[in-house]
This record gives sequence, C-alpha cells and structure tokens, in this order.
Amino acid sequence: MAPRNPAQPSPTPGQPTGGLRDAVIVGGNRVPFARAGGKYSRSSNQELFTAALEGLVARFGLQGERIGEVVGGAVLKHSRDFNLVRESVLGSSLSPQTPAYDLQQACATGLEAVVTIANKIRLGQVESGIAGGTDTVSDAPIAVSEGLRRALLEASHAKSAGARVKAFTKVRPKDLAPLTPSTDEPRTGLSMGEHQAITTARWGITREAQDALALASHQHLAAAWDSGFFDDLVTPHRGLVRDQNLRADTSLEKLGGLKPVFGTRLETAPTMTAGNSTPLTDGASAVLLASREWAAQRNLPVLARVVDAETAAVDYVHGHEGLLMAPAHAVPRLLARQGLGLEDFDFYEIHEAFASTVLTTLAAWEDDEYCRTELGLDGALGSIDRERLNVNGSSVAAGHPFAATGGRIVATAAKLVAARAAQTGRPARALISVCAAGGLGVAAVVESAGGVEPTATTTTTSTETEA
Amino acid sequence: MTAPAGTRVEILAEVPALGRSFARGAAGSAVDAARRTLPGAPGGLALPEVAYRVEHVATDLPDVAARLAAYRRVVGEPPPTGPVDHLPAGFLHVLGFPVATALMVRGDFPLPLVGLVHLANAVTLTRPVALGETLRVTAWAENLRPHRRGVQVDLVTEVATSGETAYRGVSTYLAKGFTLPDDVTAAASSGTDDRRETFVAPVPTARWRLDAGTGRAYGAVSGDRNPIHTSALGAKAFGFRRAIAHGMYTAARALAEVGPARGDAYDWSVEFATPVLLPGTVDVAITRGPAGFDYVGWDARHGRPHLTGTVTPRA
Amino acid sequence: MTDSYLNAVNAGFTKTLAKKLGLPQPAVLRRYEPGAPLVPGPVLVVGGTPGVHDDADDVAAALLRWDLDVRQAPADASERWGAVVVVLTGAERPGDVSQAVLAVAGHLRSLARGGRVVVLSRAPGDDDAPAIAATRQGVDGFVRSLAKELRGGATGNGVQLTAGAQVGDPAVLAALHFFLSAKSAFVDGQLLRVGDGPAWDASGFDWSQPLAGRVAVVTGAARGIGAEVARTLARDGAKVVVVDVPAAGEALTAVANEIKGTALQLDVTADDAGARILEHARARHGGLHVLVHNAGILRDKLLANMTPEKWDAVIAVNLESQLRITEHLLEVGGFSETPHVVSLASTSGIAGNRGQTNYGFSKAGVIGHTRAHARLLAPLGGTANAVAPGFIETDMTASIPLVPRQVARRASSLQQGGQPIDVAEAIAFLASPGTTGISGQVLRVCGQNLVGA
Repeated sequence: MAPRNPAQPSPTPGQPTGGLRDAVIVGGNRVPFARAGGKYSRSSNQELFTAALEGLVARFGLQGERIGEVVGGAVLKHSRDFNLVRESVLGSSLSPQTPAYDLQQACATGLEAVVTIANKIRLGQVESGIAGGTDTVSDAPIAVSEGLRRALLEASHAKSAGARVKAFTKVRPKDLAPLTPSTDEPRTGLSMGEHQAITTARWGITREAQDALALASHQHLAAAWDSGFFDDLVTPHRGLVRDQNLRADTSLEKLGGLKPVFGTRLETAPTMTAGNSTPLTDGASAVLLASREWAAQRNLPVLARVVDAETAAVDYVHGHEGLLMAPAHAVPRLLARQGLGLEDFDFYEIHEAFASTVLTTLAAWEDDEYCRTELGLDGALGSIDRERLNVNGSSVAAGHPFAATGGRIVATAAKLVAARAAQTGRPARALISVCAAGGLGVAAVVESAGGVEPTATTTTTSTETEA
Repeated sequence: MTAPAGTRVEILAEVPALGRSFARGAAGSAVDAARRTLPGAPGGLALPEVAYRVEHVATDLPDVAARLAAYRRVVGEPPPTGPVDHLPAGFLHVLGFPVATALMVRGDFPLPLVGLVHLANAVTLTRPVALGETLRVTAWAENLRPHRRGVQVDLVTEVATSGETAYRGVSTYLAKGFTLPDDVTAAASSGTDDRRETFVAPVPTARWRLDAGTGRAYGAVSGDRNPIHTSALGAKAFGFRRAIAHGMYTAARALAEVGPARGDAYDWSVEFATPVLLPGTVDVAITRGPAGFDYVGWDARHGRPHLTGTVTPRA
Repeated sequence: MTDSYLNAVNAGFTKTLAKKLGLPQPAVLRRYEPGAPLVPGPVLVVGGTPGVHDDADDVAAALLRWDLDVRQAPADASERWGAVVVVLTGAERPGDVSQAVLAVAGHLRSLARGGRVVVLSRAPGDDDAPAIAATRQGVDGFVRSLAKELRGGATGNGVQLTAGAQVGDPAVLAALHFFLSAKSAFVDGQLLRVGDGPAWDASGFDWSQPLAGRVAVVTGAARGIGAEVARTLARDGAKVVVVDVPAAGEALTAVANEIKGTALQLDVTADDAGARILEHARARHGGLHVLVHNAGILRDKLLANMTPEKWDAVIAVNLESQLRITEHLLEVGGFSETPHVVSLASTSGIAGNRGQTNYGFSKAGVIGHTRAHARLLAPLGGTANAVAPGFIETDMTASIPLVPRQVARRASSLQQGGQPIDVAEAIAFLASPGTTGISGQVLRVCGQNLVGA
C-alpha cells in the first residue's frame, strides 16, 4: 500500500469491520520462561518486563521511539510497583515520552492488554502500542499478617511515641509470620487446581487424555524451538536460552508415573498431576501492535491483524460452572459476532492452564445439552481439528507466568497465521482463548494481514553524501 | 413478641456483660451438675417463665461500627453495598447473645451453662436492620424437651426496631446426660448422629482453612470467649483434642459466602454435627436449590459432616 | 580487559622503576576521538624533488585539503612532527630511495608520541624489471624494519600503489588518511596494496560520518570484537543490523539498543542465513552495503586429538557460513551498490598456531575466499577484504594463562595487546566509501606481532 501522511492517518479501505481501520501485530518478544526458583529467582517483575521490552526494541529498531502506549501488568505485584509498566518503559530504550499504564486481569492480563491497545489503534487514538505482561513467583511480594499490618498502620498514624509502642503491643508472635501469595480463589479458598479438578471430574476427562495433551505440548514446543520458530520471538535472559520447563524427552510413561496432586479430596479418582498441569513460572512478554501506516512508515513487518475479542465470566462461586470455563462462553459469542464457525480456523491457541482445561473446554463445545442450556446455542458448537491445536506447544510445556502468557500466545499465533498465509497465498486465521482466575476468560481472533509493506521512502542509498 | 403465654417480661437497664454471665454460669453449673434429673414435667414447667428485655440497644455508637467491621473481616461478610449499612443476621445474633445468656445463668434456669452443646440455630430476618437503629432485644427460653443424649431447650432472641420485630433467632442447646422425669420420647429424637453414617461428600465449592486463632478472632467480635474455642488447653478440659471453632462462626461464614443473592431478608438455619477442630480445614459446598441455598461443611479426610444448613431469601 | 602492566609503566613510581630496570615500555596508544586532530602535530612530506611537480607535491596538496599543517622543507629542527609521509612512488633503482630515507632519519627523534610514518610506494609486480622489483620490494623491508624502531606509540606503515593507481586516487588517500589517523593505532609495520578504484568524489566527504546512509550487517555482534565493530560502524553513520546466535540474544539486544540498530537472532550456519539477513536488511533498512563476517568460534585441539565435532564446527562457523551467505547475496543480487565485505581472518591463518589446525584452516580459508570474492565483487564496484587481528584484549584472550598472556602481549612492536576497537576501526575503514581500490587484501591489526610477521 502507499505511504500515507503521518499527520492524517485514514482508515484502510476494504476492511470489513465497522469502518474501523486495522490494528496489526508487528511482532513480539519474550524472555524464556523460567521455573519458579530457577534462573530468574533474583529477577523482579520490572527487570523481566524491561528485558522483554528491550528485546522488542532491538528487534524492531524502536530505540528512542515514542510509542503510543505501553499496556501490561503483573498478577503478583508489589504495591511499590504501582506503575510497573511505566517504570519499565523508563528503564528501556524507548522514548521516555512513551505513556504507559498497568492493567490486570489475572491470567488474561496479557491478552486483555493486546485487545485494549488494538481497540485504541482501531479508534485512531494511538498509532502504535506495546501490550504485555510479566510475573514472577520467585520474587513475589510477601505480605505481612493482618495483625501486624493493622499494628503497622496504627503505628504509622500514631501521634506519639507511646501510641506507637502501644500499637505493637497487640502483635502476637504468630502475626510475625509472613503471608506468601496464594493462588487460591479468594472467594472459595480452593486453589485453581482444585477448582479445575472438580471441572475435570464433572466432564469425565481421563488421566490418559490429559497426559497425551501434556506430551503433545512438550513435543510441539520442543519441535518449535528446534526449528528456530522462536528465534525472532524470544530473547534469552540471565543466561536462560530456552523455556526451562520444557521436557523434550518426556513420555507417556514418565507422565503416567506421576502422582495426582489436585482433586485428591474428591470422591472421584484424581487425575491431575504436576505433569499435566502448568508449573509456577517466571517470565515476561511484549507484543508490538500498530496501525498499518505506522508500521509501513517504519518498514516494519505486518504479521496479522486483531479481528475481534470477547471476554466472558462465569458464575463459579457456588459451583454452577467451572472456574476456568469462561472461554467456553466467550468463544461462541465471539464467533457469532464475526459470523464464523468453530471450524473456520487454521490454528487454535487454547491456553493450557491445565491439560484438562483445554479438554473440558473442547468437551463442552461438543456437548449438545451443555451448549443449549449454558451457552444458549441451538446445539453443540462443534469440534476442532486437534491437529491445529497449540501446534507449537502451550503453557503446560512452556510454563505460565500469569500475565506473560497472553503476549506469548498472541505473538505465536500472529507468526503462525502469517507463515501459513505466505505458504498458501490465502488468509489464515487463529482463535485464541485464555482462561483466568475469578471465572474470567478472554477469546480473540487474529488473521493474517499481509507481509512487509515497503514504502516509497525506502532508499538504496548511494555513496554520495551531502556536504 | 411470641413468647409462651404467661411469660413475664423483665426489663434490663442494659445489655448484660457476657463475662459476668459466664462467671455466674460456671459457678451455677456445678450445682446443676449435681441434679441430673429435672424436676417437673416437660412443657415449660421447668423453665423460668420470664423474658429478658433491653429496650434501647443503641447501634449508632462508634464501637458498634468498629465491632461490625471486625465481624465482617472475621467471617468474610462483604462490605456494605449502599449508604445504609445492613447488619448481617449473624451480627444480630451476636448482639442478642448476651441477653439470652443472662437468662441461662439465672438461678432458676434448669440446665448448666457449662457443657451445653449448640445443636442448631434458626434465624428469620423478616426485614433488614440498619446500623444506627435502636434495637429492642428480648430473649426467653422455651420448648424444653428430651433428646437422645439428654435434654434440649430453645433460647429465642427477638430483635425489634421501631416496635416491630425484624429478627428472630432460635438457638437449640443440648444438656448431655440430663433426663426429663417423663422421658417417653427420649429415644426418638433429632438424627444428627444417624446422618453421620450416611454422609456422602458433595462436590466442594469452597474450602476453609481455619488457623489456630480462628476461635480467638470470633471470640473477640462475638464476646463468646469460651475457653473451648480460644485455647487448646481449655478445650482439653472439656474433652476436645484441640480448640474447636464456634459453631456460629462456621454458620456465619456460610451465610456470608452465599453472598448478595440472599437478599435483605432471609431465613438462615444450621444444624451442627461434629465440631471443627482448630486449626483445621473444612470442605464446603454451597449450592443453589429451588428455594434458596443449601450448605454443608465437612471433614474431607474422615468423611464426616460438621454442619448443614440453608439460607432462603424471603420473597 | 585491562593491561595492568601497561598502566603501571605509564604512571608514577612504577614508571620510573620500569625505566631503570630496562623493562619494556609500552606506550598508551593514541586512539580516535571525534573532533581530535588527525595527527598530533605538523606533517612532514619527504621524497619530493624541489622545483619539480611530483607525487610528493600531490600528496602535500591532498594533506592540505584535510586542513593539516604540511611542510616539505622543514625550517625548524625542533618541530615535533605529527607524521612523516615518505613518497617513494618514483623510485626505480635502490639508490633512488636513499635521499628520502635519510631525510626521514633526521626527524625520527622529533616524532610526537603516537606519531606516524607512512610510506607511499609502488607495489612490486610480476612483470617488473629486476631493478624496479628490487626497489619496490625493498620498501617492504624498510617499512617493517622502521616500524620496529619507532617508540612512543608511533607506527610505520606503507601504502603500495598497484599499476595504474595514482597518489591522488581516493583509495590511496583513504588509506593514507587511515594510517595517519588514530584509528590505525594498533596497525603497525603493514603494507596495504591499493589499486585504481572507480572515480569517487571525495569533495565534501564528511570524514567523521564516512558510513552515513549505509546499511551494515555484522555477524557475531553480541560481544567482543563483533560488538565493537557494530558500535564503530554506527558511530561512523551506518545503520547496523547486528546478528548473533539466538542464545546470545540478551547481549545482542544490548548492543542493538546502544547503537540504535536492529537485532537479528540467527545461526549463521543455517541454510537460510543469507536469505534471512538479506530479507531483514532490505525490508527494514532498504538495502545492504556492508557485510562484516565476524562470527567465529575456537575449538582448540591438537590434530592428534581432533574430533569431527570440533573440526566441523569451526569450519562451519568460521568459513562455510561466510561462503554461503556471500554466495547467496551474490546469487540473488542482494548487495546494494558498491558493497564492502570484510571478513575476520587471524594471524593464526597466516602463521599457523599449535592446537589450531581447524582454526588455522578456517582463517587461512577466509584469506583465500577474500581474494576470490574481490574478483566477484569488482563488477559491482565492491570490495572484499580481510582483517587479521593479532593479540586483542577480549574475554577470549583473558582466558589465556598469565605468563603466556604477558608474553603474547609484549611480542609485538607496540609491546601490548590491541583493543577490540582497533580491529573495528580497520574494518570500518575497509567498509567505507572511497576504499574501492582496496580489495582482496588482508590487513593485519597486530601491533606488528612477531608471529607471522
């Protein structure tokens, strides 16, 4: 396409959705994900996110660039990191005039950040943006007990030394024990794994099916690494070059030998093990989004466009629905709005919070009764071609630093559809879904959007130099 | 007020101090323990025909608001949602409890306070009570009747605002080892013990991890600092291995976790089975039925229920 | 990497002590700083014949255009010369050089610290008459010997004009400029052959931004010499694509962001490395003018203990990758106009080194393909050259045990190891416009190391 006057960005003609211009995905970057207490045990959220930004800046030559907005967040965040993303920007090679804000939607943080920026780009509010997220369980904030917290607050508000001392007299020895962050749902006290174990049991997902999916995740991820797929998606950090959790040599035998860790208190036999669940992980990711004009002016590649997204929430508190089933609700709504069927995709990127999360979601879509009563559909939503599912691995193998997962998946999906489109000459499309704590789920559609768009300003400079 | 006919209302100047009642109850219990068979026949003859009433219980005082905030934190009640701060039914129970307790430590109350087992509780909140309203609290005892393992009695507490009853709570207590003289119905009684054998754990919707300080925390907001709840040593004296959670704490937490769906007015009932040892973990299922919510809390390791109950919104 | 000995003999008590003990006295070398004068004093041009307009006059005129203080007939014997330029292009018999050489002799003690002696002569050729051949080859020995006599960080180098080249040619002047400048700090005792490249208008050329508007690719750029090459090319105005293996991405990112370039994580031994480099350079920066083959590995082993892995890996990275990438670029016409390819050779490729049969093969191979590529790039107006570093202070040489490391450092005329910047400066020079007459050459950056001299 022709270059445009940067001062007068105009909608790209021929785009179907609502007359809005496209928000395109230029590329992504992340650090390899580390196991908790592993290579990043001394890295903070800010360090990891800055590293993800720096790799992105280096890949796309964004040094000194004023990006429209950087949006991201962390699920486990210290209060001093109230401006985590802005602080990371200030520590990066981007222009210090780049605005930023923190966003948090549990495990869907990264994907929601992508959606938010895409919307701003489509509305013409920004020309470019970086969406991402970071999380570390190794450097997680530790809170003090309620008793000590009250005493500290009281003491800090006290007007005299005596009152200050008095505040601490209420502290009991047990109050001095720190509270480590928990992934338990605040409203139920059940861990995410326990919640999913209930859902898994309800849908009758077998141990064998979960282990097979976990194995595929490791094999796919290992193959993707070996093929160089991540060469332009990942930048090593602190000496970690590949995802630390990846077990290229795992097998059904090894996975089958693991003891169940979730659902052990249920009446049904437990099936969820450390092997078919996502480990606690540290990492960060970032995705560069832009208008087509902005990308073209900078000779940047265009991998895909963000077509649409839908967020759903489910009533899980009293067990009506599984905690992690929201994507099952979000996807049919998204498909209906876009006039698409479940089969209309080249790739499915369904976040593997647990192997069984993916399997219960797929089972739900295949269940006539469930789709009628819970999703309000006429019948089953349908089945997917499992060959197109998480083709380069997902969270069971890569790990899942909560807020960083969305960026990992979006960049992977964008690269996949771009490559498929380049190979076939036809547009390619990917469906993304990420479940999150609190009964949340975000689904998105990305579609290939053409390759590099050269501009007239591209020069083949000669040796002549002006005086 | 719907106290049994003939009940005399005795007006108290203020809400009696629980501590003083407990001390009196402890002393009186030794006397009661000596007479295991109650004189008279069932039907109210043995219960004092008196109701205690405090006409003006102010709730517009800062310490009530502070106590309410502490109560909410301890049992997990959500914060107030509007300008009018409605008192949870569990908190009304806490406010009325000292009046009922004062009745139970009267010299003519036939059962000893120490050793009473809280079997069940049934609350009807017919309309919301707001923080700041002045409450009229009335309490009496009724329905002394046999139980398989002793004698049970209902302590009824009513809370009225502007002359109109808003809350009625019936707490059923068991005095173990006592018998009524005319004990023909003792064998057929409440079946909490039977249910234990047939209990099948449902799918949990929640899990409570109760730390060792749970009894002390609820004791602080309820005023019920009975040593069996607040110290392991105190509990051992009564034959428990460790401190046990207040039954009303577990019921209040279940009520809280039903959430806003319970509405402003509701019925809230609970039956207690086995006590919850502290620290301890309780698996919980709160499920929506046709009329309201059923809840059950149990010990998943031993497959024994701790409590069952319902929360039913009033239309 | 710091040379603490060098620091010690240049300051305070230890300096006095070293002098008294007669220990080697390596000088702190004069290195490039933007805005600093080209040479640390006036330039003396010798070799001209008074009253006749000859090459010496042309050279002096060129130097004047660089705003230098140029003298041909020194009036003041107490002058501290920044440089002495010896023009011997007209010498045809051995006797022709004596007057100029002896003129130089009288001024050597007046050479400033970090001063320069540059000898311009004609390169010996296969068709030369015996006397001419002897004279021209003699200059070679003269320059190498003179360089060893210079002290105080001064260097001596030669520019050898091949048939058809004139002293006023851009490439000759570019070479002269380089040797005079602080950028050649660690280049000593070297003779660079310069041919007649295509016409190049140097008027108005900004010597501080010689690579402005050029797109450069540097492999192995994450650290060491490669990172310094990238910085130097960027300093000189180039837009730089830094390439290294994905595993080195963290350091590569830092380099890219420091120099406002772009990072390309890529294994140069991959089949599609050339295609991906070209795609990136073209799509993102609009072309590819400079290609620096720097990526290299060491897998030292005596041949008796050599394994296929160690041999093949070294050959694949150090040699095959360069061949494949350049071949691809030539095949698809990927180079932009007047391209410059500079490859990293090594003194080990010239003199050999025990335990480095694989490395020596690969680096000598680089010298070989450089000559061949010079021929293939000529039609594009391009050049191919190699730079052979000697002992350079890097993480790699820091791992050499103390005593051998000290011996290696002092075993050069400059009595010290070079810095990565010294290699980078040589590469930047060979990548700059105006050097088109310099091709197929191996420029050693070794401080005139004894090895392979």
